[in-house]
Amino acid sequence: MRGKVRAYAIAVGTVAAATLAGIAADAHVSQADEAMLYLLAILFAALGGRAAGLVAAALSVASFDFFFVAPRYTFAVSDLRSLITFAVMFVIGAAIGSLVARLRDAEEASRDRERRTSALLAFTRDAAAAVDVEGVCAAVVTHVHDVVGASSTVQLADDITPLHNAPVRIRIADERALTPGQHQFVEAVAQQAGVAAGRLQLAIAARDAALRAKAEELRSTLLSAVSHDLRTPLAVITGMATSLRDSAENAERRDALDTIVGEADRLSRILTNLLAITKVESGAAPRREWVPVEELVGAALRRLDEPLAGHPVVVDMPETVLAHIDPILVEQLLTNLIENAAKHTPAGTAIEVRGSRDANGAILEVADRGPGLPPGPPRQVFDKFFRGAHAAAGGVGLGLAVCRGIAVAHHGTIDALPREGGGAVFRVVFPDDGAPPKLDDMELRAG
Amino acid sequence: MTDTVLVVEDEAPMRRFLCSALTSHGFRVAEAGTLARAHELATETRPNAILLDLGLPDGDGLTLLKSVREWSTAPIIVLSARDREDDKVIALDAGADDYLTKPFGTSELLARIRVALRHARGLRVADDPLLVVGPIRIDQARYAVTVDDRAVHLTPIEYKLLVQLARHAGKVLTHRQLLHEVWGPRSTEQTHYLRVHMAALRRKIEVDAARPRWLTTEAGVGYRLLDE
Repeated sequence: MRGKVRAYAIAVGTVAAATLAGIAADAHVSQADEAMLYLLAILFAALGGRAAGLVAAALSVASFDFFFVAPRYTFAVSDLRSLITFAVMFVIGAAIGSLVARLRDAEEASRDRERRTSALLAFTRDAAAAVDVEGVCAAVVTHVHDVVGASSTVQLADDITPLHNAPVRIRIADERALTPGQHQFVEAVAQQAGVAAGRLQLAIAARDAALRAKAEELRSTLLSAVSHDLRTPLAVITGMATSLRDSAENAERRDALDTIVGEADRLSRILTNLLAITKVESGAAPRREWVPVEELVGAALRRLDEPLAGHPVVVDMPETVLAHIDPILVEQLLTNLIENAAKHTPAGTAIEVRGSRDANGAILEVADRGPGLPPGPPRQVFDKFFRGAHAAAGGVGLGLAVCRGIAVAHHGTIDALPREGGGAVFRVVFPDDGAPPKLDDMELRAG
Repeated sequence: MTDTVLVVEDEAPMRRFLCSALTSHGFRVAEAGTLARAHELATETRPNAILLDLGLPDGDGLTLLKSVREWSTAPIIVLSARDREDDKVIALDAGADDYLTKPFGTSELLARIRVALRHARGLRVADDPLLVVGPIRIDQARYAVTVDDRAVHLTPIEYKLLVQLARHAGKVLTHRQLLHEVWGPRSTEQTHYLRVHMAALRRKIEVDAARPRWLTTEAGVGYRLLDE
């Protein structure tokens, strides 16, 4: 407001000065020169803006007409040519005034922009220094207030991740009062706040993951150490007992030593399962290769020679079944499923192992003719430390949990189903990861 | 002449078991609980076979394996736990002859040592045209294979596989060793080809391919053609 008054005062003053100068030099100069003096005055006044320019033009026209255009000291005009001078004075006043005004607007806008940019920069710095999401929100409120001059509230999305397209929203009471520039600024702050919050979230997640990994590593080191310390005495017990068994004089003693060896074997299998469960639960990816399943069935059956005594095993695999699996883990899975079947079914009942393929992967089944699944949800049998109603069968309830862990690690499924005609079927599906290999070219190359 | 077996094992009770089992079956035994002592005894006693535990207090058993291999062909049998398959494969590819997975009994121990000693003596020489393992007869002069006097028709690859396994009957051969022998040095990573051809071979040789009597799988390690 004050600036405007000053601009008008300058307009009046310059026109007055031009008039005085014109009167003083009147005897020596022409009317055109006096008009030039007024143009100078208008030019000078118009620097104060469009309105001041127009005021100066109006005053100049009036003064010029009154003091210098014949008939002098009246506002009457005898020569029409003077009207052109008046028009030029007006146009120049208006044009220069509006040019100056536009320049000034642009200058103002760029100053605004600069302020917003540096505010955004300052905000980014503050947000980057924040140690939690609350710190980021506080920085948002401060910097939005600095630029917009209004208080704001910050809304956070439930999942703040860098992939979320708008994790942070800023609400301002009178949003419509914002200029486009301010609006842009608020948007930019929201976006930067989203990035900062996402980064913080990631950092927190990474820290948690590192802690978990450390705990996992500790657990697995501990278990390996424990299992090594258990394995060595077990190996000695097995070895010594077999030595004694070989030289035992009577059947009774041999039976006793057989039992020791058998039980040591069982302990050793439990240990193996304990280690296997830490391995699959550590989340390490299985080392998958294309393996004919029958090879693993054979290895598992050989390992289970003793527990399987009294159970005829039928393997139904009319052709070679390829599965994309970690052979060591899946041999363990088969061992557990077959051992589980042997443990929970009466001696003399057959165990059937089947393998087949469909378009998506390999299917393995272990079927028995035992009492069937325990009452309750069928999946409970895969829970860690779950033990069937026939707890007399022994075991700690790890075997099937290991099976599930191994199936899941392969992105596969495992199910316990009632078998038609009595008994239970355990079915594992291993989805393919890529197409099974073709072998023709290999045969040729070896020649 | 009695054979000397060097037992390298840091756990004293385990060492006692190994030594007593070996001496009671007619072997002479030298025992070491550390890598350093094992190095000394290996050069001093010139053992006919070495039983080597890989995890020793003063270093990795692999170093002993490698240094002994530089001057001796005496069979080396590695003792290792289950779920250490990678270690076994590394040891076998580095020149170990076989391995025993703890826990094991005396019969397994003695069988492994006897097979290893027999191979070391070269009782099965590669240029003998007739290879016989159990019911399997391979006539290398005529590329003919019979099982229980029944002629078996093998593809060239199956034949090569069977010959390799029969030459080393009783010994484990790693995937890498078999791939190298049959397919050549550039194919040692293509384990799945080997597995599929082994499956086919087994279906031709075995009565029940899923419960093999002769061609057994050593999970995560390789294959073995049993010879008893």
